[in-house]
Amino acid sequence: MQPSLFSRRELLQRASGGFGAIALAGLFQQANGSQDPPSDPLFPKQGHFPSRADRVIFIYSTGGVSHIDTFDPKPKLTADHGKTITASRWLNKPGKFDRYLIKSRFPFKQYGRSGTWVSDLFPQLGSVMDDVCVINGMWCESDGHDKATLAAHTGSAQFARPSAGSWISYGLGTPNQNLPSFMVLAPAAPYAGAQTWGSDFLPACHQGTHVIPGPEPLAHIRPRTPSRNLQLLELAHLKRINQNGLLQSGPDNALEARIRSFETAFGMQTEAPEAFNIAHETEETLKLYGIDQKTTSGFGWQCLVARRLAERGVRFLELIDVGSSNNWDSHGDMADHIRLAKAIDRPIAALITDLKRRGMLERTLVVWTTEFGRTAFNAKADHPGREHHNLAFTSWMAGGGVKGGMVHGATDEYGILPTKDKSYTHDLHATMLHLLGLDHERLTYRHAGRDYRLTDIAGNVLKPILA
Amino acid sequence: MQPILLFFVASCLGITPALDDDVFFESKIRPVLVEKCQKCHGSQKQQGGLRLDTRSGLVKGGDTGPAIIPGKTGEGLLLGALAYHGDLKMPPSGKLALETIKDIELWIAKGAFWPTEKNPTPGGRTQVIMPSDRAHWAFQQLKRPVPPKVKNSALLQNEMDRFLQSTLERSNLIPVDKANKSTLIRRASFDLIGLPPTPEEILAFEADSSPNAFSHLVDRLLASPRYGERWGRHWLDVARYADTAGDGADYPLPEAWKYRNWVIRSFNSDMPYNQFVREQIAGDILANENRGNKGPTHPTTLSDQIIATGFLAIGKRYGYAPNTDYQYLDFADVIESTGRSLLGLSLGCARCHDHKYEPIGTEDYYALYGIFQSSQWSFPGGEEHKKPDRLVPVVTTGEIHRLAAQKAENVAALKTRLREILLQKAHLSGDPIVGGPDLGFEKQKPKSPIGSPWLALGPNILSPQAQSPFNHIHPQGKQGVRMSAGAANDGVRYVFADPVMASPGKKIHFSIDFHVPGKSVSPGAFRLYVGRGVIASTALDISISSQSIMVKNGTQWDLVGPLNPDTWHSLNIRIDPDSKTYDGLITTFDTPKLPSTSIPFSGKKLAPGWDGVIDTFICDGIGHVPGSVPVHDLDNIALGEVPFAKPGTTTLLPLATTPDKGKMAQLDMLQKEATSRLNAEVARPLHDVAYGVAEGQPTNAKIQKRGEPDKLGSEVPRRFLQILGGDFLDPKSRGSGRMELAHWITRKENPLFARVMVNRIWQGHFGRGIVPTPSDFGLRGDPPTDPNLLDWLAFQFVESGYSIKSMHRLIMASAAYQRSSNGKEANLAFDPNNHLLWRFSKHSLDAESVRDMMLALGGNLDLTIPKGHPFPPEPWGFTIHAPFYALYESNHRSVFLMSQRNRRHPYLALFDAADPNISTAERIPTTTPTQALYLMNSPFVHDQAKGFAKSLLAKNQDDVTRIQQAHLFTRGTGPSPAEITESLEFLQSYETALKINGTPSPQVRSMAWTALARVLFTSNAALHVD
Repeated sequence: MQPSLFSRRELLQRASGGFGAIALAGLFQQANGSQDPPSDPLFPKQGHFPSRADRVIFIYSTGGVSHIDTFDPKPKLTADHGKTITASRWLNKPGKFDRYLIKSRFPFKQYGRSGTWVSDLFPQLGSVMDDVCVINGMWCESDGHDKATLAAHTGSAQFARPSAGSWISYGLGTPNQNLPSFMVLAPAAPYAGAQTWGSDFLPACHQGTHVIPGPEPLAHIRPRTPSRNLQLLELAHLKRINQNGLLQSGPDNALEARIRSFETAFGMQTEAPEAFNIAHETEETLKLYGIDQKTTSGFGWQCLVARRLAERGVRFLELIDVGSSNNWDSHGDMADHIRLAKAIDRPIAALITDLKRRGMLERTLVVWTTEFGRTAFNAKADHPGREHHNLAFTSWMAGGGVKGGMVHGATDEYGILPTKDKSYTHDLHATMLHLLGLDHERLTYRHAGRDYRLTDIAGNVLKPILA
Repeated sequence: MQPILLFFVASCLGITPALDDDVFFESKIRPVLVEKCQKCHGSQKQQGGLRLDTRSGLVKGGDTGPAIIPGKTGEGLLLGALAYHGDLKMPPSGKLALETIKDIELWIAKGAFWPTEKNPTPGGRTQVIMPSDRAHWAFQQLKRPVPPKVKNSALLQNEMDRFLQSTLERSNLIPVDKANKSTLIRRASFDLIGLPPTPEEILAFEADSSPNAFSHLVDRLLASPRYGERWGRHWLDVARYADTAGDGADYPLPEAWKYRNWVIRSFNSDMPYNQFVREQIAGDILANENRGNKGPTHPTTLSDQIIATGFLAIGKRYGYAPNTDYQYLDFADVIESTGRSLLGLSLGCARCHDHKYEPIGTEDYYALYGIFQSSQWSFPGGEEHKKPDRLVPVVTTGEIHRLAAQKAENVAALKTRLREILLQKAHLSGDPIVGGPDLGFEKQKPKSPIGSPWLALGPNILSPQAQSPFNHIHPQGKQGVRMSAGAANDGVRYVFADPVMASPGKKIHFSIDFHVPGKSVSPGAFRLYVGRGVIASTALDISISSQSIMVKNGTQWDLVGPLNPDTWHSLNIRIDPDSKTYDGLITTFDTPKLPSTSIPFSGKKLAPGWDGVIDTFICDGIGHVPGSVPVHDLDNIALGEVPFAKPGTTTLLPLATTPDKGKMAQLDMLQKEATSRLNAEVARPLHDVAYGVAEGQPTNAKIQKRGEPDKLGSEVPRRFLQILGGDFLDPKSRGSGRMELAHWITRKENPLFARVMVNRIWQGHFGRGIVPTPSDFGLRGDPPTDPNLLDWLAFQFVESGYSIKSMHRLIMASAAYQRSSNGKEANLAFDPNNHLLWRFSKHSLDAESVRDMMLALGGNLDLTIPKGHPFPPEPWGFTIHAPFYALYESNHRSVFLMSQRNRRHPYLALFDAADPNISTAERIPTTTPTQALYLMNSPFVHDQAKGFAKSLLAKNQDDVTRIQQAHLFTRGTGPSPAEITESLEFLQSYETALKINGTPSPQVRSMAWTALARVLFTSNAALHVD
C-alpha cells in the first residue's frame, strides 16, 4: 500500500482549477483562471515591493548593433578617422594590433526637449526620445553571438540558465491564464535557438512560447472538435483521469505540469487567435506601425501584436528582430545597418507612441538591447565593416518607471571602453526586476543545492534611471 | 598618431575575463589573496588548518573541508564565506566587493589557474600532462571490483544489485517493492522496442508464473526487429544523424538512410560494440582487409562496412563546394563528435589552444586532424556545387570493372538493336539520314558547298561524282562531298550529337570512304582527324596524299598502304581505349562488282594524352606532307560502339521510295522503346554508393594557431591522444591512420571505451547515467555516482564480447530495474531525485514513442523498413536564400522520419527529440502548452484516435470490455470500476452533447469513442512510463 504523502484535500487543491473547476461548476462554463488557488505556479503574485511596471516588452536586435553608429555619438572618432591605435586583442587573438580608427558614416541629431542624440539610422525613434532612457557603456562577458545572446537573456554565457522572462513569470505569475506568461514573437530563431527562452531548472510552465509570424502563428491553435462544449467534455474527462493517476502516484511535478499545459492550451485557443488578429485595428494604427509598408510590415506586426498581447495581460513579451542570419552582424559593410534600422525604426516608435496614448506605457517597460556593440576600428583604414565589441554597447529602456529623455553612462572618446556608470548585463536584469517590484537578490530558486538568481552573485539596480 | 593600449575580452571560452589566465590571476586573484587572506591563512599562520597561498592549500582546505573545488563553484567553502551567506563570513574585516567575489568565482569556475603549479603550454611544444590530470578517475584502467557485501541480500536479484543495495544501506534507505507485472511489461516494451505491449501480451505475461517469465519477455523483445529501431535511435542521437547537410542551403543527403538502416541492423544483430565502432571509423579499410585472411567475427558485408563510415561524414557540414576552404570546420565537428560519442571527451576546445580543463593539447587535436584530413570525404552538395560528390562506391575496384564491362556490353547490345531499327526505317523511308550516321550528306542541297550541321571552309561541293560505291554501312546514296585544294586550314568539320566515350572493355569504330579522282600530281596530303573538339584532344590522325595512306602511330606517321589512283577506298578503324591502340582495314573498290583488295594494319598507338572522348571529325589540308592537296571525295562516314559490317559482307539495298506507313509507325514505336531502354541503361548507376569516407592522400596536419586555418604552425605527426597512450602511426603505415585510430579507440587498454558505452546503456534504461554527463567523462564532467558499479559493468561488457544485448539482459534482470515507481516519504526526503535508484524513475515517453504508440493503436503503423526519402529529383538549385525544406508524411516508425538540420521537423522539435546539429547525449524533456495544443488539435492525433476507436468498435464486445481493452492498450493496466463508470458517463454525456449539436446519429457513437480514444491517448498514464 502506498503511504499517503499528502492529504487528499491537499492534492485536490494542487491539481484543481482549470477543467477540474469546470467540471464542478458546470460543464460549459467559461474557464476562469481567477478560480485558481494561490498554489498555482502561474497565479499572479505580489512582488517584494510596489512595482512600477506590470509587464515587459523586450526587443532583441540580433547580431550586434553598433553603438557608435546609433545612440553613442563620437565626434572625436570622426576627427581622428584614419589614425591608428594599438589593440591588445583582435578577433579573439591576443597580441598588439595596430588598427585604424573609423568614423561613423551616419550623422547624429539631437531630438526632443531632452536633446538626446540619435543617428540618422533611427529618425522615427528619435521623435520619441523624451520617453526613452539610453544606457550607454553597457558591457557583457562574451563577444561570441551565441554566448552573448544567452548572456543577454539568462545572465550566463556559459551555463544553461533560465531566461529572464522565465524568472519574471516565476516571480510574478501572470494575470491571464489563457495565454502563456512568456511569449516570444520571432520570425526566425536567434542564436542559441530555443535556449534563449528556455526555463531550464525553473518549472517548464515558465518557458517562453515561440510565436512565428505568419498565417498560423501558433501551430494547432484551432480546435478540431465540432464544438467547444465537446472539447471541454474531453478535457474535463482527461483532467479527471489524470487526477486519479496523481492520487495513486503522489505529487509529481512532471504530471502536474502536463495537466497545467492542457489548461493553458485550451485558453490559448480562443485568446491567441484574437490577439493575433489585427484586422480590427484602425487604418491609422496600421499605418503608424508601418504594416502598410513592405520594409516595416514584418516587425510592425510583431510590435502591434505585442501591444495586443500586453493588453491581454501577457507578463513578458520578447520580440526578436531578425534571427541568426541576415542580421545586424555587419562585418562586411556598415551600410547593412540602414536596411535593418529601416525595418524596426517606425514599428518601435509606433509601439512607444501607441502604448503612451493608450495609457499603457506607464506600466509597460519596453527594453531594447542587442548582444554587443561593434569596434570603432578595423584592420584597414577604409574597411567598411566593424567587428564584434562586447566591452561597450548601448541598450535603452522606456516606460514602466524609467526616466525618459535621459542618457545613462558614457564611453570614452572613441566608444571603446565605458568611462562612467558602466553597466553589466546583470545590472540591466536587476533594474528590470526592480521595476517589476522584484528584488533581484531575493528572487531565488533552489536548484542542485544552491539558491540561484537571474543576476547570479552580482547586479546593481541602475538607480539614476528610475523615475 | 596616438597609440592606445587596450585590453580585450578573451571570450573563446565564453568566460570573462578577457585576460589570459595568468594575467587574470596576477591582477585579480593573487592580490586579493595576499592582501585579504594570507595574513591568517599563509606561510606564517594557518588558522583553521587552512593555507591560501598555494593552489593545493585551497583545494586541500582546512579543518572544515576544501576551500575550493576547481571548476565547481557550487562546492567548497570559500565562496560561501566570501558572500557572507552562512555562519562563516570571510574576510572578517568586511565583505569583499561583489566584483571581486565574482572574479574569484570565475577563477574557480575556470579551474583555479595557478601559474607556479600548472602552466598550460603554448601550441607547438610538447604538451605536458600533469600528474593530477593523469590521476583523474576516468583515465585509470578498468578495475574489477568485487560486488560488495550487503546486509539484506533478500532484496537482490543479481550481482549488480549488490552495488546499489550497499549504497542504499549506507544511506539507510529501503527501496520500494517490485513493480507489478503489467507495469513491468509496459516498461520493458517501451524501453526495448519503443512500442506498448498488446493486451494479449500483457495478459499472457501476467499469466506466466514461471520464474523466467521476465527474462523470456526480455529475450522476446530483444529478438524483435523493432528493438534496433528503438536502440538504434539512441545511437543516432549520439551520431548526430540527419538527412540534410546543414550548411545554409541544407542540401538533402539521399544516401544518408543507408547509414541509419545499418545502425538499426547492427543493433538488431547485436554486432559487438568494438566492431560496431571500428567499422564506423574505418569500415572502408576493413572491407579491403577482409578480403585477405582474417575477417570480422560478426558477419558483415563489404557494402555495410563502407556504409558504416557514414558516422564520420554525417555531421553538420560547412562547405559550399567540395574544396578545402571550410573543411577545418567539418573536421572540428568530426573530432568533437568522435571525442564525445566514443570517448566521452570534449576535444573541440583544443582547436584554438591547449584545453583549459582537460589534458587535451592542441597537438592532440591536430594529430587527429591529420588522420581525418588524410581521408576523402563525401560532399553533400552546396550552394556553389549543387550536387553530391565523392560518394563512396560500396563495391570493390574489381567489381567496378566487372560492372562497367557488363554495362558496356548491355549498352552496345542496345545500340546494335537501335541501329537495326534505324536501318530498317532508312530502308523503308528512302531517307538515309534517318537510317544512320551518314552525317547528313543525302540531306544536303546538291551541287552546293556543304552546310549545317557541317562547318566548312574553302572549296567544297556536294557532287554525285563523290558518291561512294560501297554500300555495306549506308545504303547507296546520291552524293558525297568533293574537296579541292585551298589553304592548309581549309576543310570540313562535323560534330557528332552523341559523343562516344571510352570505358573499360569498350571498342570504338570509325569508318570513311575516300577517293582521289584521276591521276593527281598535287604534292600535299589531306588529313582526317578523329577526336574531341577542334584538335582539343586527338584520338588519331590519318593522312592521304596522291601516293600513300599514312596513319599516326603515337607521334609518328606510319605508311599503311599506297593510294590507288581514281579508286574508292573504304577505311575501317577499330579503337581499343584499354590498350590505347587501334587497328584498321583498307579496302579498295577495284571493279564495279566486288571490293578486291584489303590491307590490314594493327597495333598503332593512339595519340598520347587522348582523354577518351570522340565527338568531332575533321578533314583538312594539314597532312604528313605540306603543299596543295589533291582533289578528294569523302562519303559514308560512320562512328559507333558496335563493329560495322565489312565491305562485301552485306549489301544494303537501294532505298524504297514509298514508305509503308503502318510498318513505319511500328518501327517508330520500336525505336522509341529501344531508345528509352538505351537511355535507362546509360543512366543506370554502375553501382551503389554511400555517403561516407574513403582513403585520401596521407598527410600530417599543421597546427592552426588560434584555430585559424591560415595561421599555420608546426606540423604534427598523426597519433592518438596523449592521455590515452599517444601512439604514433607505424612509420611503414601508408594509410590515413583511421585504421589505427579505430584500433586505439576500441582496444581494451582504453579505459573510456567500455565505460562510456555501458554508461549510455545504463542511461537508456534508467534515464540517468552512472556518470550523469554521458558524453563528458573528463575533468569537467560529473564523477560517477558509483565508480565500482561502472567498472564492474564495463568488465561484464568486455567479457560478453561487447554484446549490448547482454548488458540489457543483465541490467533488466536486476531488482533495481524492476522496482515500482512509487514514492516513499523517507526516501523522498533524503534522495528526492532518486539518484540512488530506490525506485524506478517514472519518465515521459520520448517523441518517437508517443508517435509510434499512436500510430500502432490507430492501426496505421507501417512496420516495413523504408529506404530513402522522396527528395526532389536533381538538378538542385538550393541556396542560402532558398534552402531545401520539406516535410514528408509517413506512417513508418518515427526513426525513419526525414530529419533536417536547419529547420527541425516540427513534431520532433516540439517533443524534444535530439537536435541533430550536435552529438546529443541526453534529451531534456519539457512540458509545454504548445505540446498540449498538438495533442488536442493535430490531425495526426485525431486520425489515430479515430482508427483506434474503429478497431475497438469493430470487435463484437460489450462497452465495458471495450473500455477495459482501451485502457489496457493505452496504459497497460485495466480500469478500476470507478474508471469504467466514469468512462461510460463520459461516453454518454459526449453522445448527448453530439446529438444536441445536431450530429447525424450514425456518427454519434464512433465520434464519442474517438473522443474517449483521444483522452486516453493524451492522458498522463499513456504518455509516461512507470
